Amino acid sequence: MISTIDPRIMTFEQANLAPNDYKSEVHPIWCPGCGDFGVLSSFYKAVSEMHIPTERLVVASGIGCSGRFPAFVHAYGFHGTHGRVLPLATGIKMANPELVVVAAGGDGDAFSIGMGHLPHAIRRNVDITYIVMDNEIYGLTKGQASPTSPVGMERKASPYGTVETPLNPLLLALARGATWVGRGFSSKPKELVELIKQAMQHKGFSFLQVYSPCVTFYDTYDHFKQVTQPLPADHNSRDKMSAMKYAMSDETLYLGVYYQEERPTFDEGYAAKRAKAHAENYGVPQILSRFTR
Amino acid sequence: MREFIDGAEAIARGAFAAGCNFFAGYPITPATPILLRMLRELPKTSGVGIQGEDEIASIGMCLGAAMTGAKAMTATSGPGLSLYSENIGLAITGEVPLVIVDVMRLGPATGGATTVSQGDVQFLRWVTSGGFPIIALCPSSIAECYSLTQHAFNLAERFRAPVFIATDKEMMSAQQSVNTDAFEKIEIINRVAAPAGGEFVPYQTKKLADIPAFAPIGGEQLTRLTGSMHDERGMLTKKTSAVNKTSRHLWQKIQAHRDELEFTKLDAQEGAATLVVSYGITARSATEAVRHTRAAGKLASSLIIQSLWPLPKRALRESMRGISRVIVPELNFGQYRQEVERIALSLDPRPEVIGVDRVDGELITPQEIEELFGRG
Repeated sequence: MISTIDPRIMTFEQANLAPNDYKSEVHPIWCPGCGDFGVLSSFYKAVSEMHIPTERLVVASGIGCSGRFPAFVHAYGFHGTHGRVLPLATGIKMANPELVVVAAGGDGDAFSIGMGHLPHAIRRNVDITYIVMDNEIYGLTKGQASPTSPVGMERKASPYGTVETPLNPLLLALARGATWVGRGFSSKPKELVELIKQAMQHKGFSFLQVYSPCVTFYDTYDHFKQVTQPLPADHNSRDKMSAMKYAMSDETLYLGVYYQEERPTFDEGYAAKRAKAHAENYGVPQILSRFTR
Repeated sequence: MREFIDGAEAIARGAFAAGCNFFAGYPITPATPILLRMLRELPKTSGVGIQGEDEIASIGMCLGAAMTGAKAMTATSGPGLSLYSENIGLAITGEVPLVIVDVMRLGPATGGATTVSQGDVQFLRWVTSGGFPIIALCPSSIAECYSLTQHAFNLAERFRAPVFIATDKEMMSAQQSVNTDAFEKIEIINRVAAPAGGEFVPYQTKKLADIPAFAPIGGEQLTRLTGSMHDERGMLTKKTSAVNKTSRHLWQKIQAHRDELEFTKLDAQEGAATLVVSYGITARSATEAVRHTRAAGKLASSLIIQSLWPLPKRALRESMRGISRVIVPELNFGQYRQEVERIALSLDPRPEVIGVDRVDGELITPQEIEELFGRG
């Protein structure tokens, strides 16, 4: 149940494109069986069903297997630096609020090198959607533990097992004050399409964690199939305590919309700031005349 | 009219005059005065000013905004420039127009936050991986803070590249009475827009040294960029011919135009055997030293460098011809002197190159330079 739909998505001249029309000419280089394929095809379907014109859609990313996402989408693409997708996406959105901006990446990009930016994008409530494809491992660099890897993971870079407690991305996003928080699974495409749509329709910062297993370095398909299930029907996505309770569950991993609320977005806040500044009746000519009179 | 302003104010005014409409920065002494002015003035326009959570975010926001067509600027000091490094590389390879002000303070690390320095001169040249050329301008007066900032935006637009303004703590913080009516207005250049219609290839150019036409994110043409080595479509590639082309293009687009990128001020005196080559705040002492030397009836020449990078080879070579001694005063261990020495090696007769290096947080006085004029 969505109560706030980003008005910008609704006011487009609606595109009538099939999911395949959002495919770029580049075929994904991911390993056969990578969960990211499921996320990508769900994404094509979601934007198609939302009728988003390609010339309104920006996909930005950092670095990693999932960071290659923009190359495979027929839209504006910004493949940036490792961990820095949120600043890039914030700059794009703030300079042109009419655009639908999606940030995509993996758990290393989001929760390790780029973690410093996440609380601030949340705090600002930048009106973008962040899809984090979480495989609990570094795939591109060939299998090192990530911030979401379980304790005791033995890999080449952790030959004696990791000792760090994995972080809980949902709990973190909730604690920081994210206005939309959800979780999906690449093997549940029907549900994932809905989650992507809801996340993108949310006005404000939407944080979507998607379990997207790495077949090559950490095959968790069977594990996630066993431990995931939809959020219980009695969960109210307006209830942050309930969202936090389910986010803390580590035996069963729940899928669905955990939480949503409305708060002014960063560009709305900036517009208010601008109105205040304009009250002083200043424009560029006034500033310059003051400067150079 | 005469106004009592500092270099930071002049840079902010220059940015507005050039059409700057996006600024993101992180507070850092001695660059904060620029941030304060931009965040105060931008909301009064249609522009956007953001205080980022750190330097990496700040330059990242500028890159995102610039690719939607904004004219973006950020300002920092040495420690922040270190953090900008990777995204500067992204701006180079993605060909993103961007103005970056580096207000130099004493390094390394935290160094001297309120201490003047010119220690970033070579750091700016090699600021990111790959060794590709960059453009850096260096004002030595309040008026030049205004004019060179406009030039910096023009060059960023024209070359689709990050352009640096190398300045220092004294230039930014010392207020001075100046005639703002005499500030130079520069004709504004905007990036060349990709023609509408037809197939758009984001990084296609006719010649290696050409600058690709720009299509903004959100414009008529779908465009993309990547920080990875890419082909003309902006798609990641490892194909050697495409990699070679992109690498050589990023080199050529600056190097082939280096003569047009020379900004210098020569004050040559017929028959003078000594030349002082200076830049930034140090140029003021050099100018005073030359004035004093001449007043004492001796001959002296001066070359002030306004474009540190690419190295203004032509102006340096011309001004050093027939000179027997070149003095290079710098607030570092001779970072620019080594460039001047390299030029001197190619000259016959070869002038002797002497440095005045100061790294104690104080300025080089005119007397320190003047003494060297007096000798020999």
